[in-house]
Amino acid sequence: MSTDVDKRREESAGLMEYSAENLVPFGPIHPSLKEPEYFKIILEGERIVDVIPRIGYVHRGLEKAAEMRPWVQNMYMFERTCGICSFVHSLCYGQAVEGLTIFQVPKRAEYIRLIICEMERIHSHLLWVGLMGHWAGFDTLFMWVWQDREVVLDLVEAISGNRVHKSMNAFCGVRRDMPEGMEKHIVERMKFMTDRARYYREIIDTEETMLERTQKVGAHVTQDTVEKLCAVGPMARYVGLRQDVRLNNPYAAYGEVPFEIVTRNEGDVQALLRLRLDEIIASANMISYAVENLPDGPIKVKIPPVIPAGEHSSRCEAPRGEIFYYVKSTGGRTPDRVKSRQPTLANLPLALEILKGQTLADVPVVLTAIDPCFGCMDRMSFLDTEKNKQWTWSGEQLRQYGINYYFPDRKDKA
Amino acid sequence: MSENILEQIGKIANETNSKVVTLRKGETVIEVEKDNLRNFITHLVQDLKVRNLTTITGLDLGQEIGIMYHFSYERETIHVRTKVAKTSAAPSIVKIIPGAILYEMEVHDMFGTGFEGNPWNDKKLLLPDNWPSDLPPPLLKSSKPAEIRKRLHLEAEPKK
Amino acid sequence: MLEQLAKWARTRSPWVFHINASSCNGCDIELVASLTPRYDIERFGAVLVPSPRHADVLIVTGTVNAQTKEPLKRVYSQLPEPKHVIAIGACAATGGVFKGCYNVGQGIQDVIPVDMFIPGCPPRPEAIMYGVLKLLGEVE
Repeated sequence: MSTDVDKRREESAGLMEYSAENLVPFGPIHPSLKEPEYFKIILEGERIVDVIPRIGYVHRGLEKAAEMRPWVQNMYMFERTCGICSFVHSLCYGQAVEGLTIFQVPKRAEYIRLIICEMERIHSHLLWVGLMGHWAGFDTLFMWVWQDREVVLDLVEAISGNRVHKSMNAFCGVRRDMPEGMEKHIVERMKFMTDRARYYREIIDTEETMLERTQKVGAHVTQDTVEKLCAVGPMARYVGLRQDVRLNNPYAAYGEVPFEIVTRNEGDVQALLRLRLDEIIASANMISYAVENLPDGPIKVKIPPVIPAGEHSSRCEAPRGEIFYYVKSTGGRTPDRVKSRQPTLANLPLALEILKGQTLADVPVVLTAIDPCFGCMDRMSFLDTEKNKQWTWSGEQLRQYGINYYFPDRKDKA
Repeated sequence: MSENILEQIGKIANETNSKVVTLRKGETVIEVEKDNLRNFITHLVQDLKVRNLTTITGLDLGQEIGIMYHFSYERETIHVRTKVAKTSAAPSIVKIIPGAILYEMEVHDMFGTGFEGNPWNDKKLLLPDNWPSDLPPPLLKSSKPAEIRKRLHLEAEPKK
Repeated sequence: MLEQLAKWARTRSPWVFHINASSCNGCDIELVASLTPRYDIERFGAVLVPSPRHADVLIVTGTVNAQTKEPLKRVYSQLPEPKHVIAIGACAATGGVFKGCYNVGQGIQDVIPVDMFIPGCPPRPEAIMYGVLKLLGEVE
């Protein structure tokens, strides 16, 4: 990398004052669709100076709808905020509402909640690793990782009946019990998952394609910037902050099941890859422990449909970061106010900071690295202020540009 | 330590004429006057190092709009609540916590409350581009979804 | 004769363009999962293309919202004739669990004509493949 790049990175690192004055609204809450000028990237030659996105493509008005539906219906609606971390959304909402009642969640239900949460984390991280492979030009990795992901989805389906929207949660419990005799099978599959995660870890540390595209990319972010911009989840942990709801504020059975937080210090995209793969291994260990030490007892406590008045909030650690739900009740059958905050929104200001100073070819990799919900890069428009040129590319065109930039001799372009 | 933080917050609350309400273990609400808000949050962030702002929630309280700032510090969740008349603006805390910028825009979109000092106060975050300017913000209790859908042309066109 | 050849080519190898109109991504990840080795829709010749101008079939996930209504119409008009539209999931058919929310329409058939609905929340990859291939059977 040239010194010119380093200088640009220094200039743009941590400059929130610059951002606040010269920029326009940006970021998706959720994945977006193929839409012109969804991301507007301002360049000077090869270097990114600004990113101007437009948000609101997946705004469905859930918070308003929640005020008109019974408490229990909302649980299944909030599950569909995101297809990838759906269980943890319903869990967080459930916990926020349970806190207003006098009922306790049975121990067995808490363990089952933990098991499903961690399985969701594994499937989400594998999905992300596969996408990183795809955007970096390494489609083989994408195919292999998604094949292994099916192992976890099979387990989830065996327990809950569905692959994506599990609908396992209920107030003060879970809806389905762990099937009998599955413990050995789960432990064996988790061992398989650990081996595969270690194998992929080796690949990203040694494979030339991944190293070129991820090592030292986006590495100008400091701990102070991350704290000022209030980023959460892996985006805080990859610069060394020990920020994890499972550690700082344990919920469900996280206080009882041994948990090892995973952090890294390098602050580049490769650190994120290593971090998420290590988290898969940590999750597999937690699932094995929970399954072998599952307490007996009921899985659910029935609660009345009217929730007492009050306000309560709850946090959970989704695969992408911290989810927060705030619930206010006036003693009726429907909520007075429900507020949900997804982690991608919290990480957006940080994503902007990382993009500044990068080359155009790094955009797909950096944008995927922050793990937005899938598909945010469907369409982008570019403005080169040096050459006075404006053009629009699809995500696929940008991906090809990145591959050609880094590997000009490649014939296969997979 | 968590107990210390609550004591120290109590001290600042006394100095700024704010009321501390303990909801339950781990959750505290501090009711702050609009004019003392920036002062209070500056103390919270700079002196007590409570830097992690989770989000900003708007509430329709009838005559006024409630604005809640949710902070997390170790095992404590600290809610700072202030009230603003429906037609006036709230002070922005973007200079103190840069990460608040999008959350303030969201409250502006959903409740119509402007934030003085937020550089993107006039931009939309979530609402569609074709949102009619005379339509009241969606999360007010008086707004009806069916009406909004009609104005946004989202109802099914009658079959010809 | 040329027309028959073109029809044969289209049926044996449908080129698919995918658009997400405010979906939660559940349907999207099941669609992408159908490309992966276990389900492998590519063995039927289906290919995901990057531009609507190259596509025969438009796959839509999610129900339309105020911001995505115009882009959806625009993308539909960019597909060359003869074109087909598949709506995946409960949201694309009727609005799904979001029916009644203020920023969403009640399914995409109010915006563009739909040839095939694949129900589910989300539908399994096998269901998606079955739907796509059944549609082409109709063409034949």
